[in-house]
Amino acid sequence: MSINRRNFLKISAITAGTLIGSSKKVSASEGKDNFSQTYSMLNDSTKCIGCRACQSACKDYRGFSTTGEDKKYDMPLELNAKNHTLIKLYKEGDESSFVKRQCMHCNDPACVSACPVSALIKQENGVVTYDKDKCIGCRYCMIACPFDVPTFEYDKAFPEIMKCDFCKELLAEGKTTECARVCPTGAIAFGTRDEMLKEAKRRIEADPDKYVNHVYGEKEAGGTSVLYLSSVPFEKLGLQTFDSEPVPDMAESIQHGIFKYFVPPVALYGALGIYSLISKKKDSTGGGE
Amino acid sequence: MKVNAEPMNTNLWTRWFKVGVFFIAVGAVVMIYRFIFGIGAVSNLSDGSPWGLWIAFDVVIGIALAAGGFTTAALVYIFNKGKYSPLVRPAVLTAMLGYGLAGFSIVLDVGRWWQVYNPVLPGNWQGNSAMFEVAICVMLYLSILIIEFIPVATERWKKNDKGFLKKISVFIEPLLNKIILLFIILGVVVSTLHQSSLGSLMLLAKYKLHPLWFTPWLPLMFLISAIAVGFPVVVVESTISSRTFKTKPENHLLKGLLKFTPWVLGLYLILRIWDVIYYGKISMLLSTMGLLYVVELSLFAIIPLILLNLKSYKDNPGKMMNISMFIIAGLMLNRLNTYLIAFKTRPGWGAYFPSIGEILISTMLISILFVGYKVLANYFPVLTKD
Repeated sequence: MSINRRNFLKISAITAGTLIGSSKKVSASEGKDNFSQTYSMLNDSTKCIGCRACQSACKDYRGFSTTGEDKKYDMPLELNAKNHTLIKLYKEGDESSFVKRQCMHCNDPACVSACPVSALIKQENGVVTYDKDKCIGCRYCMIACPFDVPTFEYDKAFPEIMKCDFCKELLAEGKTTECARVCPTGAIAFGTRDEMLKEAKRRIEADPDKYVNHVYGEKEAGGTSVLYLSSVPFEKLGLQTFDSEPVPDMAESIQHGIFKYFVPPVALYGALGIYSLISKKKDSTGGGE
Repeated sequence: MKVNAEPMNTNLWTRWFKVGVFFIAVGAVVMIYRFIFGIGAVSNLSDGSPWGLWIAFDVVIGIALAAGGFTTAALVYIFNKGKYSPLVRPAVLTAMLGYGLAGFSIVLDVGRWWQVYNPVLPGNWQGNSAMFEVAICVMLYLSILIIEFIPVATERWKKNDKGFLKKISVFIEPLLNKIILLFIILGVVVSTLHQSSLGSLMLLAKYKLHPLWFTPWLPLMFLISAIAVGFPVVVVESTISSRTFKTKPENHLLKGLLKFTPWVLGLYLILRIWDVIYYGKISMLLSTMGLLYVVELSLFAIIPLILLNLKSYKDNPGKMMNISMFIIAGLMLNRLNTYLIAFKTRPGWGAYFPSIGEILISTMLISILFVGYKVLANYFPVLTKD
């Protein structure tokens, strides 16, 4: 079951004043009741040795095998349709760090808000899933995602949007994601968000000299299911600084203001209709039939 | 509205018409290639730049420039300025073709085009998405435009046709005349909604769109600029068609239309300037993007406002055309900036520039617009001769 229910609550929370575009902040707390109990991943960049076992396992599991002559040396620099997770290296002087990128599974995802056909859904268990049978391929999710995650199969006649889905079939069997399973150094921890957040804070507390004192993803863009620890500033790993407001909040409050119960459009229709009749009487010089 | 429009019945097969047909044929080949080998095969679209020329130009600019339809219809039918009624039919025809082509372009651009109707199916509805709103409203408004054009068609068929078309025309026309105002008002409402929604689309890109263009007021700005460009488009369309068909130019009407334009442009300019001041973006004007911003606003509002206040334009059709072209160019630059130029490419990807294939597809669509206009104005009573 999806948690779009909260959007109906949102509609009623907004005044028609937003019609003219004010960015009234609307509480997006509905549906977050269980966020702390949903699936979550903690990527500890300080433990990552850059072996790319996660990347390879991910490709195997999704059916984009790395074996075979052509595919052996697939080392893309960015996430793409065949690499739903990716190890990137940041290096500057003596300072260096690996970072694992994939879908952040935001608590209030911009892609879900963007999708015109509900192909992208934030599930109750925290996973942001994709349904190709609904998708029309408009790529608005790619425009909307602040983390630049969704990718698209440009080379196919019948393409799909591609992104990490937390190996949802494995989760259903009670297993972890493939990347977490194969990681040899324990850089990828998997559990509930509550557990991961506690674990992240425990690690920072245990070794405050090693870590930047911040859990990336705790608050960013309204909170994400994928959390990060790092020894170098997150910006340098390509994890941008975002405020804690979920990305869809402004867009949704304005959109709902314009369409509140369809009152503004219907009112406009009525007003134009009445004006049309009045001005027709007044302006008999015109060509009105 | 009573207008003395008549089919132009001119020779279609002129030089420019042949050029148009040629570009349609070339575009059709590229289109077939795209459907067989995928979007990547003909375009420079990538994960770095998911939207390109087809969305920014063919859809977003196309729909804004089709605003001549609803603004003219509102002027004549809602504000009952009857003297402008000769301009309604050509404006509706242009809008109908414009929306049709925007829809066509969407089918070419979306990856999973065979299920492009999915937004209509109730199980998929997604009221949070501005894209959903745009999809529904564009389909709805295109249907309304076709309904608005039906009386034009029936007018010809009931006179010139004998069999089935005559019968159906005689039957439909009186019915439609009774309720057409309901559709026209609906068309205006639906237009205001999706013109603003095209601005709302970018509200989700708050970390990606350059701050000079990103503002919570995007929906209102897109709506006002669409309204502002409506009449200038009618000026250009009317001037070109009177040259093409050698009809008497409707300069006295066009002059009247441009009377309304400074008010809308002025409102827009104030809003844009206020936005930059209120959100503390003035210092950003001293950059390359700032320069682009100033150029855009100059083309769209500042220069036209100055020119429109010089009284001399009113008796000079050439100057009216120039002013309108400034406004149209400014609008195009605004939409290109918002959707492409001021939109951040993903890290690791180079800047986007449209491929030859993308340009040929867009050329095909523009050619269909001109060829389609000529064919339909030739066959149906759209334009007035004198």
